[in-house]
Amino acid sequence: MNKKIRIAIPNKGRLKKPAIEALGRAGIEILEEERTYVSKTSDPRFEAIFARANDIPVYVHYGAVDLGITGHDLILERGADVLELLDLEFGKCTLVVAVPEDSTINFVGEVPALARVATGFPNITRKYFEKTGKQVEVLEVSGTAELAPKLGLAQIIVDITSTGETLRQNKLRIIGSILESTSRLACNKIAYRTFEKQITELLARMRGGSEKE
Amino acid sequence: MFKFQDFDGKLLALRAEMTAPVARIVTTRMQSAPEPIRLFYVNNVFRYSQSYLKREREFCQAGVELVGCNTSEADGEILALLISSLKQVGLQEVRIDLGHASLLKDLLNAAGLDEQQKVSVQALLACRDSVGLKKFMEQNDFPSNLRDAFLQLSRCRRLDEVSSISLNGSKYDKANKQLESLMELQETLADYELEDLVFFDFSLTKKIEYYTGIVFEASVPNLGLPLGSGGRYDNFIEKFGKLRLPATGFALEIGKLLQALTAQGFEIPKSSKTKVIVASKFRNTAVAAVKILRESGVIASLEVTRRSLEKTMEYGKLTEADYVVSIGSSLKSPVTVFDVKSNVSRNVMFETFLGEVGGQA
Repeated sequence: MNKKIRIAIPNKGRLKKPAIEALGRAGIEILEEERTYVSKTSDPRFEAIFARANDIPVYVHYGAVDLGITGHDLILERGADVLELLDLEFGKCTLVVAVPEDSTINFVGEVPALARVATGFPNITRKYFEKTGKQVEVLEVSGTAELAPKLGLAQIIVDITSTGETLRQNKLRIIGSILESTSRLACNKIAYRTFEKQITELLARMRGGSEKE
Repeated sequence: MFKFQDFDGKLLALRAEMTAPVARIVTTRMQSAPEPIRLFYVNNVFRYSQSYLKREREFCQAGVELVGCNTSEADGEILALLISSLKQVGLQEVRIDLGHASLLKDLLNAAGLDEQQKVSVQALLACRDSVGLKKFMEQNDFPSNLRDAFLQLSRCRRLDEVSSISLNGSKYDKANKQLESLMELQETLADYELEDLVFFDFSLTKKIEYYTGIVFEASVPNLGLPLGSGGRYDNFIEKFGKLRLPATGFALEIGKLLQALTAQGFEIPKSSKTKVIVASKFRNTAVAAVKILRESGVIASLEVTRRSLEKTMEYGKLTEADYVVSIGSSLKSPVTVFDVKSNVSRNVMFETFLGEVGGQA
């Protein structure tokens, strides 16, 4: 089969640059970056696809692309059944529960029943509160969840943070953390079978010999 | 599963798969049927799926079950049938990947793991995380021969590679037996000349509580999801009755087969049957003509609308008919045949026309 192996890379945001660098170190240089959705690479067997980091787990799950670099948090949120072949260790962040600084809530156990929670991660948030036995109303927002308390939309938010700076600027206080995340090399399960040789070779190069098989 | 209440408060559910209904039929209505029993179904099932592509809840499944036998010949027959079914519908580059539920269960038991640890190992295997698996086995003091077996099995791709694996010690008796059964299956598949299409995959750990022997998935490179799956389930049917019956089978998702065929550029051939519309002011003659045409294997329909012949021609074009035939008061006199595609008309005897479209008067 002469089909190229398609690898999805975030088209913007904090994962984009390190993802391109990680591939570059493994010998896959992106040749036609920016504005093109599909780019040739220096390795003729691979083709790069630029997509939203959010959508990459779904693309990989359905095999629209064979491989993809995206966050572990996003893979869980989209419920994608994919292989997480490698922890790339960049894009480190924590998904946290936060409240306004002046809130009377000090930890998750104090969250009142039927509280409204604004988040860009509705699935993880719902599961998390179900597990803690709290019945909450999850309000899905895309992007700026930290705005919700200011607008009186929600008393609680669930969002990712890496340094905590954005939360501090918005006068929000962390009351619990849900999961730690880093970016992963995700792989479609069928594609792994089809391209096992090429993919294990790529893995070895991306590991750079630091972790031997 | 979709569940709801009947008017009298009883709980109802839409079937999510077909194996349970088959087990119910086998234990209640086929108790005296000679074994083995071979059954098939093509049916709709209902599931809540988190698909982002389509919000479908109804799926068409085609499947088979071979009940009452637990030999490698039975498993071989099911795998051979799966492969030939996929080839028969026109798919290329079909492959089967196969694991073994009991082998995995027996190895996990031999390792002396608790339920939580078993789940962790299964997750590591399912994710093909060999680095993580190694770490886990070191931390949990797996004996070195068991460690090697796990790593070797994760690396095995061809079924015959499994033959080199065997564990010393009586606590591995069960696992060794499962390994032997895989070798027997490999030999059966070789008799079918299918050993190059069936691969070993230790990462298939889904539903191992339900399956008792081989578990497998069918796929083609053009589609990122499995086309169907199956396996051996020797402890399932007894839940529906007192009968303890071993069984093996598979189910294919028709929608996925269509997607895969489309991805491979397959075009569904059109019906080769001739389509004829019969129009006449004389109803008795027209009815007789339609009957004769149908009996000759032609797709014939009667113009029932009383509209003009011109309008009937237009309708014929839109519905991709081959001919519109205008008939007078008797089938003994010539009829006018309009060729819909070329727009040419001619007068011929009905018998001659019938001969042309492959029938006999």
